[in-house]
Amino acid sequence: MSRLLRTYSSELILVGLIVLAFAWSSSLSPYFLNTITLLSSAQFFVIFALMAFGLFPVVVQGEIDISLASTLAVGSVLFAHLSVQGVPFFAALPIVIAATAALGTVNGLLVAYAGLPSLAVTLGTMGAYRGLAYLLAGDAGVTGITPEYLRLGSSWVGIVPSSVVLALVVAGVCAVLMGTTTFGRYSYAIGSSPSASRMAAVPVNRTRVAAYAFAGAMSGLAGLVWVSLYQSARGDNADGSILFVLTAVVLGGVSIKGGSGRAVGVLLAVVLLGSIQIGMQLANVPGTSQTLVIGVLLIGSIGLPRAVQLIRQRFGSARLPAPAGS
Amino acid sequence: MIASGQTVLEGLKERLKFSGGAAALRVRFMGVLAFQLLLMVMFTALVPRFIGWNNVQSVLFTAAILAMAAVGQSLVVLTGNLDLSVGSIMGLSAYVVYDLASQSPDLKPFVVLIAILFGVVLGAINGFLVAVVEIPSIVATLGTLSVYRGFVSFYAHATEVTSGELPRWTRRLASANVLGVSAYVWLAIALVLLVGFALRALPWGRNIYAYGSNPRAAYFYGLNSSRIVVGAYIGAGVIAALVGLLLGAQVGNINSLLASGIELQVLAAVVIGGVSIWGGSGSVYGAAVGAIVLATINNGLVLVGVQEFYRLLFQGAAIVAAVAVDAVVQRRVLSATSRHSIMEVAS
Repeated sequence: MSRLLRTYSSELILVGLIVLAFAWSSSLSPYFLNTITLLSSAQFFVIFALMAFGLFPVVVQGEIDISLASTLAVGSVLFAHLSVQGVPFFAALPIVIAATAALGTVNGLLVAYAGLPSLAVTLGTMGAYRGLAYLLAGDAGVTGITPEYLRLGSSWVGIVPSSVVLALVVAGVCAVLMGTTTFGRYSYAIGSSPSASRMAAVPVNRTRVAAYAFAGAMSGLAGLVWVSLYQSARGDNADGSILFVLTAVVLGGVSIKGGSGRAVGVLLAVVLLGSIQIGMQLANVPGTSQTLVIGVLLIGSIGLPRAVQLIRQRFGSARLPAPAGS
Repeated sequence: MIASGQTVLEGLKERLKFSGGAAALRVRFMGVLAFQLLLMVMFTALVPRFIGWNNVQSVLFTAAILAMAAVGQSLVVLTGNLDLSVGSIMGLSAYVVYDLASQSPDLKPFVVLIAILFGVVLGAINGFLVAVVEIPSIVATLGTLSVYRGFVSFYAHATEVTSGELPRWTRRLASANVLGVSAYVWLAIALVLLVGFALRALPWGRNIYAYGSNPRAAYFYGLNSSRIVVGAYIGAGVIAALVGLLLGAQVGNINSLLASGIELQVLAAVVIGGVSIWGGSGSVYGAAVGAIVLATINNGLVLVGVQEFYRLLFQGAAIVAAVAVDAVVQRRVLSATSRHSIMEVAS
C-alpha cells in the first residue's frame, strides 16, 4: 500500500490540487459545480489534452516538440479543405492524420538522423508549418464545413461530449503504448540514457522518429476536434497553445530531462489546468493574465522539488548529517 | 626517427590551420556574409528598388532593433541556454517604465536607469531559475515569458501609454537621423562593438565562453557556474529592457502586447548568425549579421510581393538550415580538438 502511494505520489498530489481547484472555482461562482457545464467546458481542453498526449512520448525520450500547435493548424485547415471538397469524413481522417504524422516525421528525422537539437529544429518547423497553414488557409480561412465533420464537437455519449470520450480513449491508448509496448520501454530507456540504449541495441533513431510521428498524428486529431468545436479553420489556429501543452506534460510528472512520467499524470494535469482556467474565466480574469498563472505553475511544478532539496541542503544539513553515499 | 616524427607533427599542424575549429568557425561567419550578399543580389535583380537608399535605410532600421535584441540573446545562447522571455521583458520594461514616467514626471530623466533596474531583476529571475533551481532554460523562460507578459497585461488593464506621454527625448531619438542613418543604427553598432569587446576582454565575457564550451571543464577550473549563467541572463535582461524602451519610443502608442512573439525572430537571428545553440561558439558580430539577414529577407519578400506566409516558411527553413550547418561545424571543431590532444600526447 505504502509502495503504491509512493509510486503514484505525483498523481495523488495532482488529485489533491484538482480538489482544491474545484473548491476554489466553485467558491468563485455558483455555476461552476454543475455536471453539464463542467462536461461541456471540458470539450475545449480536449484539444490541449490530445496535443499533450502527443508530446508525452517525445518528452519521455528527453526531446521536445514546440511545433505541435502549428501542426494542429495545418491539420485543421486540411480537414476543412477536404470537407469543402466533399470528401467523406472517414476518408479524410486517415489522409489528414497521415499528413500531420508526416510533418512530425520530418521533425523526427532532423532530430534523430541529422542529430540536431530538437528545440532548434522544432523552433524552425514551428514557423515553417505555421506558414504552411496560412498558405493553405489563405487570408480568410476556410468556412462552410459540412455537418459530417462537426459531429464530433456536437454529439454526446450519454451526458459526456464525444470529444471528451475521444480524449479518454486516447489517454488509455497512450497509457498502454507507454506502459506495455516495446515502443514505450524503448522510450523510457532512451530518455534515461541515449548512449546506454544505443549500446543495448535499442533502435534509438527509429524510436525517436516514431515518437515525433505520433506527436504529429495526435496534433492532426486535435485539429479535427478544433474544426468540430469552432467550425472554422484558419492559419493562426491554436497559436501559442504550446505553453499550456508543455505545462500539462511537465505538471503531469513527466521529467523534462526524459525517462519518466505516466499518461495518467498528463491526463490529471490537463484536468487541473482546465479547472483552474475555467475558474479564472468565471472570475473574469482576462486571458493574458491567465497565462501568468499557467506560467507560474509551469515553473513551480519543475522548480518546487529542486527548491525543497536546496532548502533541505541549506538548513537541514546543520541538524542532520547527510547519510553517507547519498 | 625523431626527425620524421617531428615532420609528421609539423604536417598535422599545417593541416590543422586549414581544417581546424577556428577555420570552420571563420567559414561559418563568411558563409552568413555570403548568404547576405546573395540575398541582396537576388532581391536587387528582382526589384531594383531594393538597393535604393530609402529602402536600405528601412532595412537597417529594422535590423538595428533586431540586432540589439540578438546581442542580448547571444549572451545567453553562448552559455548553452536560451531566453524565450526577451519579448516579454521588452514589453514589460517599455510599458511599465513609460507608464511610471508619465504618472510621475519627476522620473522622466531616469527612465533609462529604471529600465536597467527592471532588466537586472527580470534577467536575474531567469538566471536564478536556470542556474540555481536548475530548470531547463526553455521551460524556465517559456514560463517567465508568460509570467512577465501576464504581469504587463495585469498592470495595463487594457489601457495604452500614448505617444504624448513618453519623455520627449525618446521620441526625438526614435526619429533622429545621424549622418543619413537612423540614430538606432548607430546605437546598435555601438552596442555590438561594446558587447563584442566585453566578451573578448572582460573576465565576465571570457567566463561565458569558457562555461559555454564545456561546463564541466569550467567547473573543474574553478569557475562559479551559476554566477556565470546568472550574469549572462542579467546582461540579456538589461539589453532587452533597453531595447524595449527604444522599440516603445518608435511605436509610440504602447499596449501590453508590445514585442510579443519577437523572441522567435531574435532566436532566428542569433542562430542564423552562427552562434552555436550548443553554446561556447559564435560572436555577437555574427548575431548582428544574422539580424541584418532576417531584416533583408523580411523586407525583400515584401518588395517582391510574396505573401506574408512565405516569410514564416523561409524563416523556419533558414533556422533549420543554420543549425544543420552548425552541427557540421561543431563536428569539425570536435574532431580538430581531439586531433590537437592526440598531438600533444604524441609530442
